[in-house]
Amino acid sequence: MVDYQIPEWLLKSQGPLPPSKSTKKTRRSFVEKTIDAFSGFLMDDFYSERIASANGLMQGLHPGIKVITTLLLIFVAVSLRSWELLLLFNLWILMLAYMSAVPLSTFLKRVWLVVPIFTGIIVLPTLFNVIRPGDPLLVLLHFSGQHRLGPWVLPGELTITSQGVRGAVIFILRVGACVSLSVLLTLTTRWAYLLRGFSMIRIPTLFINILEMTYRYIYVLLQSASDMFQARMSRTVGRTGTGEQQRFVGNAMGALWSKAFILSDEVHAAMLSRGYTGTPRTLKNAKIRGLDWFWIAFALLVTIILLGGDRLVS
Amino acid sequence: MHIPDGYLSPATCVVGYAIMIPFWATAVKKVKAALNTKLIPLMVIGAAFSFVLMMFNVPIPGGTTAHAVGAGILAVLLGPWAATICVSIALAIQALLFGDGGIFSFGFNCFNMALVIPFVSFFIYQWFAGKSDVMSNKRWIWGAIGSYIGINLAATCVGIELGLQPVLFHTAQGVPLYSPFPISVSVPAMLLAHLLMAGPVEAIVTGGVTRYFQLTNPSVISDQIAARLAPAKAAFNKLWYVIIALIVLVPLGLLAPGGAFGEGEISDIKQVFGFVPAGLASLRDHYSGLLQDYGIPGYGGANPDLWHQTVGYYLAAVVGIVIIAGITFLITRLIAAREAKKSST
Repeated sequence: MVDYQIPEWLLKSQGPLPPSKSTKKTRRSFVEKTIDAFSGFLMDDFYSERIASANGLMQGLHPGIKVITTLLLIFVAVSLRSWELLLLFNLWILMLAYMSAVPLSTFLKRVWLVVPIFTGIIVLPTLFNVIRPGDPLLVLLHFSGQHRLGPWVLPGELTITSQGVRGAVIFILRVGACVSLSVLLTLTTRWAYLLRGFSMIRIPTLFINILEMTYRYIYVLLQSASDMFQARMSRTVGRTGTGEQQRFVGNAMGALWSKAFILSDEVHAAMLSRGYTGTPRTLKNAKIRGLDWFWIAFALLVTIILLGGDRLVS
Repeated sequence: MHIPDGYLSPATCVVGYAIMIPFWATAVKKVKAALNTKLIPLMVIGAAFSFVLMMFNVPIPGGTTAHAVGAGILAVLLGPWAATICVSIALAIQALLFGDGGIFSFGFNCFNMALVIPFVSFFIYQWFAGKSDVMSNKRWIWGAIGSYIGINLAATCVGIELGLQPVLFHTAQGVPLYSPFPISVSVPAMLLAHLLMAGPVEAIVTGGVTRYFQLTNPSVISDQIAARLAPAKAAFNKLWYVIIALIVLVPLGLLAPGGAFGEGEISDIKQVFGFVPAGLASLRDHYSGLLQDYGIPGYGGANPDLWHQTVGYYLAAVVGIVIIAGITFLITRLIAAREAKKSST
């Protein structure tokens, strides 16, 4: 019998780890970020599924009608030129969201926290006369005369122009309205119904079938990928260099593809064994009810009023 | 690189769909011919793979991370036509589930990410490494370079699409209605980000995954699938005719909705020259070039009319198409020439 010597430090009982002293959050590794991205997908998806099965205005509509009217309303949003009407339109969409049992905090977070930040940064430079000249609205700085900076000549003063503000406001409101409408559509419609709606606007069944199945297999592949990253995280103790990390990501993607490819063979065999001949079949569409017709008429009315009003204003 | 709705005018969005529909149709036809009943399962898994790939955080020097599109590696694994379908489906799910990228701008988003990236990267990979040994270093190196060039060309396309908006669509006062920056700003801005960040990430992914298969399972990249799904030359040429026809027809479509187009009395650049002559004129001279060098009349003139704007549109569109078409066409020709040389010897 071999005489095992247990090292002393292993015999000592260890108290709870002391709380981390630094309040500064450490930068998370790419592995953690990826795992977060995976679970974020699942969370978002489950959350929207819950809203989609709530009892609200948009949930009650026929999916095809909803898709068509959403496209119509996005067209309205893209076509409007006056900021007053765009603002009104946005308020109306907020009301629709409220009537569709979408929590306003969620809606505002998804749309009005994201859009002004991203789009705002993009249009920010156009506010100033240095980038896009226009009538001054607010003078920020007076320079002593004109400055030369290589090929650039700075004008005498830095101002925010009225054209710049107008353009930026219209742009942000428009992007916000577009994003609101598509968020509203997807939050209030379950994926399977949404796809049935798309078949109404003559999107080939083949694409709809692929979309339908892809959605399911995303879950399978996400699980695989997530397992890989969890395994990696639990085995990482020290620091790793960028090169090694990049190799890991490449390998993980490659391994995922190998698994996916085998899976596609299995799916294919399963489909064939169930009598698949190459022509996909789907269930019948839901019935269009009176409420749907009313909604179409209403959406058309809104379109006419807004576009007509836009003509008058601008 | 996902363009949300509201950045592009409706007329532009129609063009995006008009370009993509023949490509989607051809892609399905070609992939179906190669795969038969396996079309759906392989495309489904490919699309799901592409979707998950876009969620991977790729570490880049400096401790930060970035996302890849993954279209380049799909083109290496499955060939460009199948990659077009897979990435389009992944983009559709992103747009529909999470609002990443707009519904109207979906056509152009697919054009940039699902068409330009896979085709450009595939042709470069195929031309430089297609005939090399499966284990050759050429494979992963040219895969990486192809993806790098592919994503940068796609970024150029995004820049052109966004940059055309203020030229074509603005109010009578010259306030742009959609994306506000001209091509001279949008293209360099897009390119800068992609040359330095997204390009290397895409290259790392394509190169890394190709290398992984060389070391573990070379049969995956030995062109078994990719070769079958590679484009046949004739069909490809026909598609370019479609695009050329579209470029010619598009301004007619732009006229139809009316509105901004006819009443545009002051173009942005005229406004620039009008208000701050010395300063911004020199800025434009220094940085734009793209449109002015092509000598569009009316851009600097007093009263650019519809005709001048249409000419401007044509030239800008031609610049964009020439960049993509030129390179892909050239490489197609080169491959054809090389094949001919091979068979004659």
